Order: sequence, then C-alpha cells, then structure tokens
Amino acid sequence: MKRRLLLVVAIVMIFALAVPLFAQSYNPLNFKSKKPMSQWKIALVPKDATNAWFVRMEVGVKQFAKDTGINAFQKGPPKTDAAMQAQVIEDLIAQGVDAICVVPVDPAALEPVLGLALSKGIVVIDHEGASQQNCLYDIEAFSNEGLGQTIMIELAKMMGEKGVYTTMVGNVTNASHNEWADAGVAYAKAHYPNMTLLAAEPRVEIMDNLDTAYERAKELFKKYPNLKGIFGTSSLSSPGVARAIEELGLKGKAFVTSVGLPNENKVYLKDGTLQSVLLWDPRDAGYAQLAMAVKILKGEKIENGCNLTAPGWTSMQFAPGSTKVLQGKGWITITKDNVDSFGF
Amino acid sequence: MTTTKTAATVRGVRSARDPNLLRLLVMLVFVFVLMTVLRPNQFATIASFNSMMRQFPEYGIMSIGISLAMITGGIDLGVVGTANLSAIVAAKFLIGTVPRGAPPAQVVPYLIIAVLLSLSVGLACGTIAGTLISRFNIPAILATLGTQQLFTGIAIGITNGRPQSGLPLLYSRIGNTEFFRFVPLSFMIFFIVAVSVGIMLSRTRFGTFMYMMGTNPRAARYAGLNNTSIILRTYMISGLLSSVAGLIMMARANSAKADYGAPYTLQCVLIAVLGGIDPNGGFGTIGGVTMAILILQFLSSGLNMFNNISNFYRDVIWGGVLILVLVFNKLLSWREERRAVRKSMN
Repeated sequence: MKRRLLLVVAIVMIFALAVPLFAQSYNPLNFKSKKPMSQWKIALVPKDATNAWFVRMEVGVKQFAKDTGINAFQKGPPKTDAAMQAQVIEDLIAQGVDAICVVPVDPAALEPVLGLALSKGIVVIDHEGASQQNCLYDIEAFSNEGLGQTIMIELAKMMGEKGVYTTMVGNVTNASHNEWADAGVAYAKAHYPNMTLLAAEPRVEIMDNLDTAYERAKELFKKYPNLKGIFGTSSLSSPGVARAIEELGLKGKAFVTSVGLPNENKVYLKDGTLQSVLLWDPRDAGYAQLAMAVKILKGEKIENGCNLTAPGWTSMQFAPGSTKVLQGKGWITITKDNVDSFGF
Repeated sequence: MTTTKTAATVRGVRSARDPNLLRLLVMLVFVFVLMTVLRPNQFATIASFNSMMRQFPEYGIMSIGISLAMITGGIDLGVVGTANLSAIVAAKFLIGTVPRGAPPAQVVPYLIIAVLLSLSVGLACGTIAGTLISRFNIPAILATLGTQQLFTGIAIGITNGRPQSGLPLLYSRIGNTEFFRFVPLSFMIFFIVAVSVGIMLSRTRFGTFMYMMGTNPRAARYAGLNNTSIILRTYMISGLLSSVAGLIMMARANSAKADYGAPYTLQCVLIAVLGGIDPNGGFGTIGGVTMAILILQFLSSGLNMFNNISNFYRDVIWGGVLILVLVFNKLLSWREERRAVRKSMN
C-alpha cells in the first residue's frame, strides 16, 4: 500500500504544476457582482453554530437580511473545529454563494478552502482573523489602542478623575491585554493629571482565573489603602474584583472596569458594586460583516471611514500598515440599564 | 489448502447473510433522491459532488481504520490522535528542513521523506495500541482511549498547541490536485484504501483470520490462530490508515494541529456501526462502511443547503436519521429471521 501511495504521489507531481497557487492577491474591486441584488446569497460561518456568542451573532445576520432583503444566513459547524468549519465552507462554495463571511477557528487551516472560494470569485470577509491571507478584508470590532483608551475613560469617570489606580491583565504574556493596558495608562497620563499609577505594582496578573482576580484584588486593597481603581482587561477581572470590593465593604470607594460578559456581571451591576463593563456585541459584528460583503459585491471602493451601518462600526479605519485589516469602535458600555438586553 | 476452503466458506456465509448492503444502498438512493428533489439546482451538481469528494476521504479513511478494529472485536478510538500526531511530525519536518523558496524539484525528496515519516509514526502509534491490547490484554476501548489521549498530548506538547503552518506550497498543491478538474487526489487515495482493505478482508487469509477471531477469539485460538499477531497487525493497519488521513487533513488545512477533527472520532464509530460493522466483532464489510460514509456526507452537505434549518436542529436531524437507519436495519433483520424460522418449520 505504501508503494501504491508513493506511486500516486509521483504521478501527481506531474499534475501539480497545473494547479493554481494558493496565496494570490486579489483586487477587491474585481469582485463586483453582475447579478441583481435580489439574487445575492451571503453566508456567515461562525466558529460554532450553537455557542451563545454566535447565536447572538445570528440575531444580527437575521436583522441584516430583514433590513436589506438580501438572502443572508448563518451556517456553522456543529462543533468548534477547524476541519469541520472547512467542510461547511466547502459546501457553501459548492452551493454557489456570492460571499462568505467567516469567524475562523484557525485562520491557517482555512487558507486553502478560502483560496478556493476567492479563485471562484466568491467574496471572502474575515472577522477576528487578522492573520488570514486568503480574504479580501478582515474587520475587527476595535483597535487595541481604542479599547484601552475607552476602558480608561470609563474608569476615570468612576474615580472622579483622581486617585491611585493599577492595571490588571489576564496574563502578562497576553499581547492584547498588555496593549490595552499600555494605551489606557498613556491616555491617563495625558488627560488625567490627578490620576496616578500604583508604582509598586503597576501590572497585576490574574492567570486568567476568576478566583485569582478576587484574591489578588483583596490583597491589593488591603496592602494599599489608597488604591481607588483597577483598570481591568480580561473579562474575569470585573466579577472577581467586584466580589472583593463587596466583601471588603468598599462599594462606592473602590472601582473596577474591564471587558465583561453581561450575565457574569449582572448581579454586581444591579447592586452598584460595578458601574459599567465594556463589550463588543456579536450582533453588531455579524451585521457589519454582511454590510462589508455587500459593499464589495456592489463594487464600492473601501477606504478609511467606511460605514458598515452597525453601532460602533460606522467609521472603519485601516490598521496601521495594513490594507486588509479594518478596525472599528465597536464596543458598547454595559450598565445596569441595558445588561438584560443581550441574552448572553 | 484447508485455509482456502475455510475462507471460501466464511465468505459464502457472509455474503448470503448480508442483506445489510442492499438496505444501505436503498437508504443511500433515498437520501440522494430526497436531496435532489428538495434542492434540484444545488445538490446533484458537479460542483457539489466535487466538494463532497474533497470532504469525506479524511474521515472516511479513519472510519475504515475503526471498522477493521471493530471486526476483530475491538475498537480504535485513537485514529484522530494518530492522524494529527503523524501529520504534525511530517509538518515539523517540512517546516524545519525545506529551505524557503526552494524550487519544486528540490522539495520533492523532502515531501517523500515527510510522507514516509508520517506513515511510520502512524505504524508506531498502531503498534503501541496493538501491543497494549494483545500483550497486556487491556480492553480495546480503554487502551485506545488512553492512546488517543497520549498521542494528542504528545502532539500538543511538541507544538504548544499551535497550528504548524508554513508548509512548502508544493505539498498542498499536490494534496489538492484534482484529476480532470473533478476527482480530488484525496478521493483517489480513499478509493485505493477502500479497495485494498476490501480485498484484504475478503480475499486474503489474514482477512479471514480477522473475522474468525472477531467472531470468537477463544475458538480462533484453539483453531491455531495467533490472536496476538492478528490484533497487533490490525491496529498497525489502522494506525497506518490514520496517518494517511492525517496527511490528507494536512493538505486540506495547509497546516497540522493537535486537535484538528477532534469530533471525527465519534462520527467514525457511528459510520462503522451504520455501515453494518458488528460492534461485537466478526461481521461487516468495507462496502457497507463506504455506503455509510456516502450517506452521512450526502446528509451533511444536503443539510447545509437549507438556509432556514436552524443550526440547532442539525444535530436532531443527524441523530434522528442515524437512529432510524439502525431501527430500520434491526426490523428488517428480525423479519428475515422470522421468515427463515418459518421456512425451516415447513
């Protein structure tokens, strides 16, 4: 059998030269559709069909289909698995969809199948897959700098723009958490002269663990009585620190904010331990991906400031040095007033 | 020449008692017609067949591996782990040795070594599983659950869980070749594997031994069969097939990763059972397994054509069809048994 396989491999070498290369660069303007809009078919492929995050994304997809009358739908693998995601995309290509929006499980694993889609003239838009080669554009909810600044603005509001604060990251090796924190600290330095970074422990690590966040916060507040605010990054920091604030009776005296999921923070938002957490809404991300695909199918040129018609996605900017990755300001502030409206 | 006679007898009994193949064929045609009627412009098209032929070889070959283990009365849950580990070894070798931008002619020897390397890893993985089962008498389900964990663990360990990408372009170009712009290489490999394994099972002494041992290991041993060697060789073949599947996945994903295709394990077991392989051993054919693979692929691709079927119902439909087929199978075989009993009473 081994010999046969080798034989096959050998034969194939001859054929191989006829196969087109994978990593080609395509001009998005060539993807303008010749069909009327009513015949367009756009699919969004999430990482997983039943995960709450992507169920929320499907709300945006359905909304888009309703708003525009375009046949847009979401179709994902039954499990979060790169191989299965590639199969769903295979099926979509075979069905002859006009555009594929994808949130890749693993960008590397999708290169061949997305390359195939592009070679057949199908528009490919990525979301949260900035390293993807075979796509026309990758759209991101935010830039790391923008999100870091926003977290700081929220924290400064709570702290009355004065007092000592520190930053908390999921892991000191987590690149994006550190970028958010750096941007936040730089913003505070420039805009809030009365806020100072805790010099003894400027960056606290919680090892991506809720209990560690709680314990570290308790420790910090005891050790540094004048510590007033914690700039959190990981979604685990808000609920963890909030528990510490509540237990130490510091409600209204100490503050924290970070990226956070509505349901995890609901109790603390409602009882006033937390004022707000930040999040990007997958519904808007779904809506924006489809809007982007439609722009390409219409033959529009994509430039800085392009409007993807979802809240926070209205003025997309190219990432520094990139002609492919676009970033929005797609975060939302979750407070006690809107925490119930997300469904996840 | 006694063995040849035995082989012939066993084969005769098998084909006479295998209306399962016909049932599967009916089911296959039913699913095909159903999808064609419901989605006439999408399902029965060249593009859709081409896409399906690209999809099933990777898990199809693993299903055949699991089926072999099941015929001997065991099971091999380590197929996906073996596939990924062997692909990762090949990928690491290619990424580490092939000079960047080397011309294709220079890359070819590396590719051949990588393929051989990955096949040897597959064989080694199979040997480990086979040894645990045959020499240490560990039940196959436990032994291979362990090896699956072990192989995946090693794969995660040597890659830190990261995808191994940056393979020479030539590899995926070859791996994704399509003959006559329609028949993918992976399908050809699947075809060769299915035919060779089919021939092995039905026309060789070793195949007959596998069925005999699967039917009754004790009787097989008393009849002078070397069960230890049969088990060992079965799992080695399964390991080898898994590494072939791994090479296909690596070409399709242009990379290798420790957890690609993790949900395939269960799917492959279901395919084997659906294809008429008796989980208790000793019964089933590759023809049946192939039809089961096709049925599942038709269903899967077909379901993806219904935009309005919510993803939540997909599993329900999938599982429902599986159970229906199993029940349908059972009902028919009961009917046949009754008929046979009636006949013998007359």
